[in-house]
Amino acid sequence: MLTLRGVSKRFGSRTVLRGIDLTLDAGTLALLVGPNGAGKSTLLRLMAGLLAPDAGTVERGCADTELAYLGHATFLYGGLTALENLAFWEGLYGGRSSEAELMAALKRVGLERFADVRAGVFSRGMAQRLNLARVLLRAPRLLLLDEPGTGLDARSLTMLRAEVAALRAKGTAVIWISHDLTGDLPMADRVLELANRTLTYAGPAADWPGRTAMAPAAGTAGGATC
Amino acid sequence: MKSATTFSTWPAWLGLCGGLALAACQYLIYVYAPVESTMGVVQKIFYSHLPLAWWALVSGGVACVAGIAYLRTRSARWDHLAYAGAELAFVLSTLALMTGSIWARHSWGVWWTWDPRLTTALVLWFLYAGYLVLRHLDLPAPRRAVLGSVVGIVAFLDVPLVFFSARFWRSIHPAVFASEQGGLEPEMRLAAIASVLAFGLVWASLLVLRARAAALDARSATLAARVMDEA
Amino acid sequence: MLKAAWLIAKKDLCLVMARGGAWVQSLLLGLLLVFVFSLALPPGAQATAQTAATLFWLASAFCQVLAFNMLYALEDPTQARAGLRLAPVPVQAVWLGKTLCGLILLVAAQAVFFPALMVFLAQPLGPGWPVFLALLALADLGLAGLGSLLGALAPGQAARESLLSVIIFPVLVPLLLAGIRGGEAAFSTALPEGLTRWIGLAAAYDAVFLGAALLLFPFVFGDDR
Repeated sequence: MLTLRGVSKRFGSRTVLRGIDLTLDAGTLALLVGPNGAGKSTLLRLMAGLLAPDAGTVERGCADTELAYLGHATFLYGGLTALENLAFWEGLYGGRSSEAELMAALKRVGLERFADVRAGVFSRGMAQRLNLARVLLRAPRLLLLDEPGTGLDARSLTMLRAEVAALRAKGTAVIWISHDLTGDLPMADRVLELANRTLTYAGPAADWPGRTAMAPAAGTAGGATC
Repeated sequence: MKSATTFSTWPAWLGLCGGLALAACQYLIYVYAPVESTMGVVQKIFYSHLPLAWWALVSGGVACVAGIAYLRTRSARWDHLAYAGAELAFVLSTLALMTGSIWARHSWGVWWTWDPRLTTALVLWFLYAGYLVLRHLDLPAPRRAVLGSVVGIVAFLDVPLVFFSARFWRSIHPAVFASEQGGLEPEMRLAAIASVLAFGLVWASLLVLRARAAALDARSATLAARVMDEA
Repeated sequence: MLKAAWLIAKKDLCLVMARGGAWVQSLLLGLLLVFVFSLALPPGAQATAQTAATLFWLASAFCQVLAFNMLYALEDPTQARAGLRLAPVPVQAVWLGKTLCGLILLVAAQAVFFPALMVFLAQPLGPGWPVFLALLALADLGLAGLGSLLGALAPGQAARESLLSVIIFPVLVPLLLAGIRGGEAAFSTALPEGLTRWIGLAAAYDAVFLGAALLLFPFVFGDDR
């Protein structure tokens, strides 16, 4: 579903990523881990096509309409209601969902009571849930998440994990940048460890050496990375 | 990236030749070309004004073409050339405005006239002043280069439109520099062309030297950043 | 692409109307310009048609700068810019959508400026108003298209507001001149001469810059940030 070959990225004179090779199959959930500032967000944006690599290639096995990106920023317009936000993004992606279908999506994430409320007043958890509804409507085949759990309340986080797992079961390939390894590791199939500008580990989650030596301090400081 | 950067000296020689050529032009301007009947000796400022205005325009063209080249190749060389072109366009149009203003003062007793050429020079000045403001913003270098290219292209596309609009605007009040188009005697024309060409040599050397300076600036910024990275 | 552009324009209009204040600001600025200038006239003096037309276009130009600063600022709070780039639509759809929205806002503001000028500067409505409308359409189109291209330049910081004005005004000169001639046609009792040339110039301007905008917009909006 996703193949990176020899990808490198520089910002000015600083090399952020060097010689990244990885493949991701459908129906796999890979956790992208690494210390703060290692370049995880940059790598994710390269995968999404938001950045162009300086060297190497990024190949996605799905169409642009089947790619979904869930980051720190929610892409939501504070001045529009939840329903209007969904309708806008759906329309851009070529969907023809009726209002009933949009309401159903809101219901799935528990926001149906707030359909006509301006997204600007939503809490972080509600905003991310709305974001999730936006993603779910599209049934993406490739899903990229950048620390989506940051600042989420427990209920929203559980819902997020459940929905992502359900998507994975249906064949979606998922890359999840984690800020909470303890909580996220159980659902991962693979782990991609980014350190020193390159991937130091890319394999099954069960075999990841960092698993046993998992110290809550490393990589889970929970702050925003570059 | 090369570890040692050496530059050949040909632009400096070109500048020297240009300087000598300009010196030779002084003979043409003051001895060969006749003194104009109505304006007197002050008319000879035209021989400075014309090259300045012309090469300011060409500099803008260089910035535009280099901008297009940069957007296509993303090679920093083009960006340095574009920046040099835009900066020269600004400097030369400033000088063109000053000389044009002096000329206007002696022709019509006013420091400014809405002559189409002078108006275009003024708009050029503003366009490239805006360009320079943009280039001095605190942005990452590639982003600055892309934005600079876009503005450089837009600015130059504007120039012919400005010229024609200024001409249409003033068509009912023709206070143009009459001696520009028609009334140039052959000796004056020769002196004018010689001045433009001689100045062109100086211009070319300035352009290349400025582009190199920009390249060196970028290189030293890279090295500085590298030092801090490894600290 | 047209559908996407329309969706974006609609979304922007909704957002602008919801907040209201931002567009009203640009309207008020234009009206203030007219009012302050009319104060500057000595009592009993009549402003010429050219003066009134110039004011009209100055007010319109400032309104546009504010409008496009605002339209692009809408994408900042939640980094919707990235979302728009990810969407499977050509990035020019954003340019087109914002142009449409900017155009609507501009015409709405001009609908207020025009009568205001007639009132404050005692301008008559001349026989040339159809020509004025033609030039208005061409000039507004150019203003909006260029504003939409250059409005996206701003790096998302405080420099944005003044930067757009500094860069766009020199570029707008030919269009403003054409618009002013058209305005003169509306306000004078006699038609100024050479109007067909001005229409040709404005049309050429629009062709050049709208085409350039389509080609250049991806670089301005779609680049790494």
